Amino acid sequence: MSEPRRLHFIAAVSNVLKTLKDSIIPILIIVVFGNSEGKIQLFITLGIIALILVSGILTWLRFTYRIEEGELRIESGLIIRKKRYIPFERIQSLDLSEGILQRPFGLVKMTIETAGSGIEAEAILTAISKNEAQQIQEILSQSKKAHIELDEQIETEQKEEQILYQIKPGELILLSSTSGGVGVVISAVFAFLSQFSEVIPYEKVFDELSVFITGGVMLISLMVFLGFVLAWLIALIGSVLKYANFTVRKVGDELIITRGLLEKKQLTIPLHRIQALRINENPVRQAIGYASVYIESAGGSLKDADSSKVMLLPIIKRNRIREKIETGLKDYQLTDMFVPAPKRALRRYIFRGLFFSIPVAAILLYLFPVWGLFSLVFVGLILILSYYRYKAAGWTILENQLVLRSRFISKTTVYLRKNRTQSITMKETYFQKKNQLATISAKAMSGSGATGGDVVDLEVDDVLSIYKWYSYTPENSD
Amino acid sequence: MLSKPQKRISKRGLTVWKISGALHSLIPFVLAIGAIVLTFIFDWQMWIIGVALIIFALYAYLAIKVFPTVRWKRWRYEVRENEIELQHGIFIIKRTLVPMIRVQHVDTHQGPILRKYKLATVTVSTAATVHEIPALDLEEAEELRFFISNLARVAVDDV
Repeated sequence: MSEPRRLHFIAAVSNVLKTLKDSIIPILIIVVFGNSEGKIQLFITLGIIALILVSGILTWLRFTYRIEEGELRIESGLIIRKKRYIPFERIQSLDLSEGILQRPFGLVKMTIETAGSGIEAEAILTAISKNEAQQIQEILSQSKKAHIELDEQIETEQKEEQILYQIKPGELILLSSTSGGVGVVISAVFAFLSQFSEVIPYEKVFDELSVFITGGVMLISLMVFLGFVLAWLIALIGSVLKYANFTVRKVGDELIITRGLLEKKQLTIPLHRIQALRINENPVRQAIGYASVYIESAGGSLKDADSSKVMLLPIIKRNRIREKIETGLKDYQLTDMFVPAPKRALRRYIFRGLFFSIPVAAILLYLFPVWGLFSLVFVGLILILSYYRYKAAGWTILENQLVLRSRFISKTTVYLRKNRTQSITMKETYFQKKNQLATISAKAMSGSGATGGDVVDLEVDDVLSIYKWYSYTPENSD
Repeated sequence: MLSKPQKRISKRGLTVWKISGALHSLIPFVLAIGAIVLTFIFDWQMWIIGVALIIFALYAYLAIKVFPTVRWKRWRYEVRENEIELQHGIFIIKRTLVPMIRVQHVDTHQGPILRKYKLATVTVSTAATVHEIPALDLEEAEELRFFISNLARVAVDDV
């Protein structure tokens, strides 16, 4: 199969039909909104259809595939010519399907999935004979045989089961009540106001209050407030139903997560598919010493996107994470020792905070001279957040593991293993360069997309040392 | 100390970027012409013409001259036995390291302008990211794709 082959002509038909389907709306628009004589729109419509036909056939003519030197080689493209060579080792799965068009001619559609990123990860042979499909499958399975035998061996090993985590009722309530940011704010405000109930002389205020209520202002704001509380309650109940009975079991080399009260869900994650570990602390949970732990896993396809970002420990005391991870995920070592961003980075963190908050505040002040004063509170909050962002920035390397910590609103710590990291980038802007600072960005795989960590404004030498740690070239890693 | 990537992309790439910069400048050109015509039709003030022309000139100068030149000067790449290193960026200089064992597949593609100048763009995909080396000499691009896909295959698949 080393000579280039074309797809069956049905592929061209399928292309044309698909393009026609996609362009049906523009064509309809031309037909409907054209002038009454109708000649011009007829020509335009026919022209478009002819164009679609010709380009469909030309695209089909250009599309060739062949198997050569252990690679599936596809060349295509009418205007932009593309060559895609997929080594067999990289092919994750071959899916065959028969559509209405393929069936009468005994053809199949073959979808080749690689572990790549996004839509580009797939190559599709729209119409090939069953024979050819079989040939390709055989060639592929021969080159993969070694791997399969290995997998089967693991399968037969004895499996031991161990419960890693089980949510307690208290934790469930805590998780649910601190999950939505808005809810937290509202309940905080409510709690704050209730403190004043003793101080404010209600009886005395009551007369004036009734005037207010009849005026409707108070009523509306009360309704809005109740609405918020109701929304929060609904979110809370939903969350309780979703995360009730949250249990993580480790069975052999797999993690099995079950959760849910009404609708039970189970998720199985093979340990070897875990790409990264992420610890998340939102401000409220951080204040009471709790965190959530997520794992990023390599989902096979877009279909089960759900399984790529998995909540492993929904809510847990910070100091108990280590013990859980060390029994469950032996590959990861937790740490609290971080190299922080240098002092001179604080200025840049503050500046970035002010850079957008001050203009916003200025506009608000200009528009609402009195109420706009509240925007100063906003600037203050951003300043505090900027400081905590600076405090959160840090990194550390433990053998084959890179740990990056940063904060947007929640504090996030990402654990990346060297052999799971897909690429590392260091970034320097002009001003960073002047201050000898740099940004580090590490990417790992998550589902069929990317995840990772970024830390802004670290010491440039630190960033270089991370870069060096990641480099596989011996003279660099010295 | 870490060695920086050394190889530059083709000088013809600079020409291609200038051409595409010129094509991009057509948009502010048309807008500027439109502004001038409207100014005459509706008797707007004359300084509008000046502003329109200045904006167009500035855009064209940046898009045709400054950005392609800086971009070309910054672009460095190096394909080593174990990894690919890229360095690029006009305002933010990005240096990226992609280990060979993480490479999933390598593609080349070329648009009409690139084809006329016998250039091609190489994209290197990992399981999570896509990296591009633009405007390489066609033969170099083919060689590179061949080289990378060969090296990448040696690696163990542990994704």
